[in-house]
Amino acid sequence: MAKLILSTGNIVSGGPSIIRKPGAYRSNLELTNSLRSNFLAAQQDFAAAELRSNGTATPTSNGDAGGPDLDAETGGRPSASVWTAEENGVLYVPRIDWPEEGLQEEPAQYNITVKLFFLPTAPVSKRPQYAGEALDLVLKELGAPAVDLFIVSFPGMSFEGDCEWEADKQNSAQGNDEEEIAAWSAVEELHRRGLAKKLGLAEFGSEKLGRFLQKVQVRPTVDQINLKNCCNVPPPLAKLTKEQGIELLVHSDCTDILPKGTLRDLLGPGLGGAGILADPETGRGGLHGDLSPQWVVKYTAVVRDRGVIENKGYFAGAELVEG
Amino acid sequence: MGLLALGTALDWPEAKEQAHLVRSWGIKQLLAIWSKAKGKERDAMLWGDEVEYLVVTYSKDDPKVLLSLRQADILDALENDKALCGTEKCTPVLPDGSSYQAHQAPPVFHPEFGRFMLEATPGKPWGIEFRELLEVEPNMKLRRYIAKDHMLPNEYPITLTTFPQLGSPGVFTDPFYPVSGSRLRSQFVPDEIANPHIRFPTLAANIRSRRGRKVQVNVPVFRDEKTPWPWRDPTVNYDLHQWPEDDDVRNGAAPDNFIHMDAMAFGMGSCCLQITFQAKNLTEGRQMYDQLSPLGPILLALTAATPIYKGFLADTDVRWNQISKAVDDRTPEELGEKNDRWRIPKSRYASNSTYISEDSRLRPEYLDQDLVIDEEIKQQLLDGGMDDRLATHFAHLFIRDPIVIFAEDLQELDLNKTDHFENIQSTNWQHMRFKPPPADNSIGWRVEFRPMEIQMTDFENAAFTVFIVLVTRVILSFNLNFYIPIAKVDENMETAHARDAVLTRRFHFRRNLFPATRARSSRGSNSGASTPVTSRPPTPTGPVDDEHRPMTVNEIINGTAYARSTSAAASASASATTTPGHPAERGQDHDDDGGEYFPGLIPLVESYLDAINIDVATRCRLATYLDLIRRRASGELWTAARWIRHFVATHPEYRQDSVVSERVSRDLVEAVIQVGEREAAGEGFAGMGERLALGSLLGGR
Repeated sequence: MAKLILSTGNIVSGGPSIIRKPGAYRSNLELTNSLRSNFLAAQQDFAAAELRSNGTATPTSNGDAGGPDLDAETGGRPSASVWTAEENGVLYVPRIDWPEEGLQEEPAQYNITVKLFFLPTAPVSKRPQYAGEALDLVLKELGAPAVDLFIVSFPGMSFEGDCEWEADKQNSAQGNDEEEIAAWSAVEELHRRGLAKKLGLAEFGSEKLGRFLQKVQVRPTVDQINLKNCCNVPPPLAKLTKEQGIELLVHSDCTDILPKGTLRDLLGPGLGGAGILADPETGRGGLHGDLSPQWVVKYTAVVRDRGVIENKGYFAGAELVEG
Repeated sequence: MGLLALGTALDWPEAKEQAHLVRSWGIKQLLAIWSKAKGKERDAMLWGDEVEYLVVTYSKDDPKVLLSLRQADILDALENDKALCGTEKCTPVLPDGSSYQAHQAPPVFHPEFGRFMLEATPGKPWGIEFRELLEVEPNMKLRRYIAKDHMLPNEYPITLTTFPQLGSPGVFTDPFYPVSGSRLRSQFVPDEIANPHIRFPTLAANIRSRRGRKVQVNVPVFRDEKTPWPWRDPTVNYDLHQWPEDDDVRNGAAPDNFIHMDAMAFGMGSCCLQITFQAKNLTEGRQMYDQLSPLGPILLALTAATPIYKGFLADTDVRWNQISKAVDDRTPEELGEKNDRWRIPKSRYASNSTYISEDSRLRPEYLDQDLVIDEEIKQQLLDGGMDDRLATHFAHLFIRDPIVIFAEDLQELDLNKTDHFENIQSTNWQHMRFKPPPADNSIGWRVEFRPMEIQMTDFENAAFTVFIVLVTRVILSFNLNFYIPIAKVDENMETAHARDAVLTRRFHFRRNLFPATRARSSRGSNSGASTPVTSRPPTPTGPVDDEHRPMTVNEIINGTAYARSTSAAASASASATTTPGHPAERGQDHDDDGGEYFPGLIPLVESYLDAINIDVATRCRLATYLDLIRRRASGELWTAARWIRHFVATHPEYRQDSVVSERVSRDLVEAVIQVGEREAAGEGFAGMGERLALGSLLGGR
């Protein structure tokens, strides 16, 4: 069994992957596009660096994707060992040169928000571990001692339906209260250790939130919701959050942010894949086994008083069970 | 009136003698502030908006609306009303039921050039907390309410860019004054049209003196079905012999097919919407200045609101060139009519001529190749430690003479003031202004965005204000690159004047706002405290002309995908109301350029908002603002200019001859006042009548 950590790096000045496409109001395109573009950039960068040190450049190489270090086994891509890195049994895709300084100013100048997506493909029992891992990666990336807001998104929850009242009702039966409360206690622990100053939830309707609040020790200060027509907050939810002093924030993420098939495509041998996984037909070139996504974390660092996003990106954790 | 110190203003011949001294002291003051402030860091993002009003007299039974010249009395009333920030009046309950927030500082009112104008700013600058963005509109309403509250019952502050009857024969001011005074020597407006503070008449008179004749503000007349052609401005009097300048019209100042105007008031009497941003440091200020500059003409076209001059429909939709001509103090030599030290291609009021950032993305080809600068001044600035690019900028601004000089200020140079520097700086009216900190260095480097036209309602004014604020955050966060050659920005500024430019014209715009390849190891944009170090500076390659292409405003604002889906609707609506005229101008918006993708400013703003923590109510309100701008850009909604044209065209008294009669003007102002009253009361516009077509202007509000 092997563990993979995927990362996007800072996507904020990265171009097209940050732009919301019309009609794609709620999608994971930002994640998948920025992963893909980071893989490609890493393949080019590290392969080019390798090339310079080896001096094996072919004179016709023009620096485009797949120019140097062609490897027939990986479909013309530079081999994975060049641009990924394995440390302590974890494969980093791509490899990460941890920055000496994450943010340009001292951390107190920033408002750092983290949103952790628990995925339906991962075992519930490991959620405490995932929360710790994900937050560690973000803190390391940003060079910050703590985040300001840590939002948790549980699988299987949404506001669906045309009428927002209806959405709020349906929401009541979604997810799994017990599992969510169990995971929350791990998140509370991160808060107690001072790593997350405030906690938040996503997609909790009025009834679920009401039940949740009765059972937790550290209360969420934020509930992030996605509404088709954002001006119609279900009145019970508006009332409850107002009474409880919980801020209702907007988001446009989808809950199932990294389905298994999407991950396979991203890392697979096909067109647009990174060539980390073996070709299932030929069995050649890469890792074998069943890959499942475990969690995704999104982080954003905004300069206080200036409203400038300095750093934004994602990490994703996945597990490969060799078949 | 505190800003406007009194003194003995020099008439032109004496002022000219002192011009060199003022420039040289101005440069010394600039260098003093430069050395104090160049290292300023981490100033917060603070910003402010300025709204300008015309003050009109109107009553239901009066067949005339007039410009009220009681500016000084109104300002006195505002100034002397201690209760403005006292207890009772400080928290007035506004007509829409909302009350004035106690934590808000009371708004500030300022005089303007026109004696019929008023300017209002928020009492303290805004920050970038998103809830503050929502306070802009209520604050604008509050300003209007307080202004009205200090006027006579029949006086109203309205936000039209120009007064439709300004300069037409007969009575258009209250009180009435005869034309042809000694300062303006205008045959259309009295000297009393200008703010009586000595600064303003001196400004107008010295511009005229320096120029050697009156200013010539000629705007092409709109040719309607029954407009006589060629059209000769029927209001021009060729038989005046009171002033030497009365010869101007006999010497061809008023060509056929143009509405002829001859005084500064026709330009500087226009109202606009300006926004000033404080940058975190010098570098960021210079970056914002450059990046906002190519957006100027786009926002000018999008806010177009000026289709009437002197009682006639013009063939242009915006105020810009008229102001430019109204303050054009260039001598015949500088205009290139005679040989001189230099020919100056633009008026003091014009689109930007410089980029000022030391950004590695700024290619030398973008700069104005024929920029006129004062080499001696540039050398002084370089010697004082300023870098070449900024020294060039100021050496360009300082080719101008100071127009208004007070004798008292020439006694000794005070390096703890910036008055001489500001004398030149603030009479260079470009579409962006780069503002050094004041002499006490108490606030930061600032950038002013100046091209937008004022809109009829505070909702619209707030929408454009908030949009530009968000665009600056997007530029800095995503490190966007809008650079195109300055000559193309100039061209766009001209293009923005066309009738319905939003629908019918294309503007040069940069195709790719992002670096060509992703710099993987680049850490963040440049929001940090220090000047950013880009780990892999992009190497510009390829011809500059391939970097930009002509785009519609719809494409620029909404992106190519949205533009494609709406262009059919927009062109249908364009042809439905486009009056006959110049068929060549139509049909230009039909083809798209082989489907090249451009993201659009609004999708970029939405991507930014998606990444920020925003509460539901705030996001909803911001969405209504973005929606207005989206639909204005796509043509689903009309610009103010289009709405005004529609009002005139459908008025029973309009004769399809380009003449906007007193009656039509009165009814237009009445409609504007009624819309304002509805807005103030928090009521919608339903039931105001089909003919008003407010739904086409504001959407379903």
